[in-house]
Amino acid sequence: MQTLPKGGSFLFETTAPRNIFTPEDFDDEHKLIAETVTHFLAEYVFSRMEEIDAKKEGLMRELLVEAGKLGLLGADIPEQYDGTETDEICTTIIAEKVGATGSFAIAHGGHTGIGNLPIVYFGNEAQKAAYLPAIVTADKISAYALTEPGSGSDALSATSKATLSTDGKHYILNGSKTFISNAGIADIFIVYAKIDGDKFSAFIVDGHSEGLTTGAEEHKMGLKGSSTRSVFFDNVNVPVENLLYEAGKGHVVAFNILNIGRHKIAANAVGAAKLALDESARYANERKQFKVSIARFGLIKEKLAEMAIRTFAAESAVYRTGGLLNDMMHSLDRSGPDGGRITAKGIEEYALECSMEKVFASEAEAFVVDEGVQIHGGYGYIAEYPIERLYRDARVRRIFEGTNEINRNLISTTLIRRAAKRALPLMDAVSSVRSRLTTGIPVRKDAGDLVQATKDAFLFTLGIATDTFGDELLKQQEILGRLADMALLAYAMESAWCRAQKAVMNGQSGAKHKENMANAFIYTTVEKVILAAKEALANLAAGDELVKMQANVAMIFQYTPVDIIALRREIAGEISEAGKYIA
Amino acid sequence: MKILVCIKQVPDMESKFKVAASGKWYDTADLAWRMNEYDEYAVEQAVQVKEQVGDADLTVLCIGGERVKETMKKALAMGCDRGVHVADDKAAEKEPFEIAGIIAEFARDKQFDLIFTGMQSQDRGSAQVGVLTAEMLGIPSISTIVQFAYADGRIETRRELEGGVKSIVKAAAPALVTCQLGLNTPRYPTLPNIMKAKKKELLSLPVADLLKVDARQETGKMYFPVKKGGGLVLEGEIGQLVDQLIQILKEKTGVLA
Ligand SMILES: Cc1cc2nc3c(=O)[nH]c(=O)nc-3n(C[C@H](O)[C@H](O)[C@H](O)COP(=O)(O)OP(=O)(O)OC[C@H]3O[C@@H](n4cnc5c(N)ncnc54)[C@H](O)[C@@H]3O)c2cc1C
Repeated sequence: MQTLPKGGSFLFETTAPRNIFTPEDFDDEHKLIAETVTHFLAEYVFSRMEEIDAKKEGLMRELLVEAGKLGLLGADIPEQYDGTETDEICTTIIAEKVGATGSFAIAHGGHTGIGNLPIVYFGNEAQKAAYLPAIVTADKISAYALTEPGSGSDALSATSKATLSTDGKHYILNGSKTFISNAGIADIFIVYAKIDGDKFSAFIVDGHSEGLTTGAEEHKMGLKGSSTRSVFFDNVNVPVENLLYEAGKGHVVAFNILNIGRHKIAANAVGAAKLALDESARYANERKQFKVSIARFGLIKEKLAEMAIRTFAAESAVYRTGGLLNDMMHSLDRSGPDGGRITAKGIEEYALECSMEKVFASEAEAFVVDEGVQIHGGYGYIAEYPIERLYRDARVRRIFEGTNEINRNLISTTLIRRAAKRALPLMDAVSSVRSRLTTGIPVRKDAGDLVQATKDAFLFTLGIATDTFGDELLKQQEILGRLADMALLAYAMESAWCRAQKAVMNGQSGAKHKENMANAFIYTTVEKVILAAKEALANLAAGDELVKMQANVAMIFQYTPVDIIALRREIAGEISEAGKYIA
Repeated sequence: MKILVCIKQVPDMESKFKVAASGKWYDTADLAWRMNEYDEYAVEQAVQVKEQVGDADLTVLCIGGERVKETMKKALAMGCDRGVHVADDKAAEKEPFEIAGIIAEFARDKQFDLIFTGMQSQDRGSAQVGVLTAEMLGIPSISTIVQFAYADGRIETRRELEGGVKSIVKAAAPALVTCQLGLNTPRYPTLPNIMKAKKKELLSLPVADLLKVDARQETGKMYFPVKKGGGLVLEGEIGQLVDQLIQILKEKTGVLA
């Protein structure tokens, strides 16, 4: 077996296509699970979208119960607690398919992801036995309550308090949470509060406790069928047994859950983007103006192609990450009572990749739904068409599970910290780029070379930024943001490239189409990387020094452009012929 | 009690079909595959019988290349106990008599009480395999069933006849039935059952061991029908529609002459 790559190491190592997981590697079980989820959603969810988004009383619970009967709520839960504990690819497939449903995806994710993983990973035996079986069947619905009115991105500044009762049997909870998904239907809340006002801790709180109330439903831009409310705690008694993990270790729970949470959000985004493209491709085939279907207009072809290209890149990054998480989980001994914590710790290795895919996929989705509305013209603005919902539902994915700004900061600061701890030899890689720049970097011949160029540009800019700012670099958000962009674009480009190469090597059908999409993605995205590098460098240096740096950037990116217009036409041709996203 | 259900893997019918280079079948490249729709009814019914009697052993059989195992796993996940994969990369070239011969050869000494097949396959559509198999085994067959009940070694079925007429047909086991749309609503496998199916027995047998009969038919040629003129949709009031239709029939056809 190959050894597991270290998180972030792709930035200086070459990745062999055969070593990444791609959707073409699905085994029979993965395909069957995909089929079951597709059937379930068509029969129960897509058929009732209007009722769902009108928040029909009891419906969301009913749908979760139905999903539970098919085992769609227990994919992360060990068998001893009635779950199925499938592999991480299965859970990625479920998240992807469910993503297209909007509101149901949030209810499902709030319940199965962030709502139960704290117990799966950090609960003790008794807590798991008490809650997980009921979560598998949706007998009890769960919600995750971290955000407060005054603490969103800065989650650790929460002011909710827990005080031990005089008899030592309860924590007495006071405070409030806001924007809590599933709040209106939840039976269990995972609540974060500070014991004695300073020890940030996680608790399992019975939703029917005395003193626990929820506010009115928020009127949201999208996801209208998902319950979002404030939750208030007025001297709520929480049995001491319901403290999750350890007092003062709430941040460990919160941050570890976010990694998988982000991975699932990215998968959700891919599912929604695919549906948006399917709807748009079909519409473009059917809609006629000037006596021809609009799919035949060059500017529409370009949109369809670019939607497919970004969806492909996001999908490739998501399943590659799913594969990494899966390999990590299988490499760990998770059999003991500490299995959950060991899993969470293992997953942390790929925190970077989870942040990268979350940012990339949520922004790819944003582009896709926006162009989807454009292809629909005025009809795209009318609620009757699914694209209108997809457009609204997409917006929040750039905001929750860590805003994309917070994730960008996190990507760069994590890389810099790991480099400082020598956990990642990034600075050696920086030196190597520098020495190659003195001996001369040859012209880039293909898209694979351009992926390498992107990594070189990232390392080069990181080197200059570190030289300029030292430890202060962690405070230079605009530079950190650009470094994060280069890193996450390198990840997406490489994922798309390796997937296409793997398909070519395996002689798979559709390999040419994949190669076209990877090429188009890389040749256009590389210009964004160049811009990010140039802007960062212009802030880091001036005068002759800057002139030299820009010459270096130019040397890193010596290449001849390809005919993107022709490539996109070819890609659009495939999409229009299929009338949907294909890869 | 021993039950056999025979299934076939067919392309997704929404695929874009091309005639293969041989000119005798469709090109199998770039197709998505699934279980033949009628076989899903067969599997569902077989699983229901098993659930009803409790003590039953349900085998699913499928002929084809490595690819068909995915479809077999679906049947296992739906509730079949074991799978018999008759390995044959050239299954598509075999005609119904050969396919029935292979199944009958496999089933002959196994004392199956009930055999379920689909009414026909969605791709070849001969509707012969089930009834031929029964004939070769010397057991009764009831085709195109839309209702099924089993009790005390006897089956009672409802068949669909022309024009929506139904008939009730009974037989004593062992017997074979071919299943039609409307018989039941096939379950889709749950996640736990998909994972459990992974551990069920799936035996591969070379087709050469079972193919003892010779072909009786030959496909001469496969081709798309010649494109006729496009259809015409008439819209408007019923009265006007009738006039319009008569006008067209008079002008363009000889049916009213
Ligand atoms: C529909 C919906 C469902 C939700 N579900 C849940 C749930 O189930 N459970 C839960 O706990 N929470 C939930 N949330 C809350 C969500 O996680 C927060 O809204 C999110 O974390 C952002 O916090 P905030 O809204 O307070 O924004 P703020 O943190 O105030 O951010 C405002 C802006 O400032 C930026 N910003 C903040 N800090 C920094 C920084 N250090 N550097 C640069 N920029 C910064 C942000 O990126 C953002 O652009 C949900 C929110 C919504 C809208």
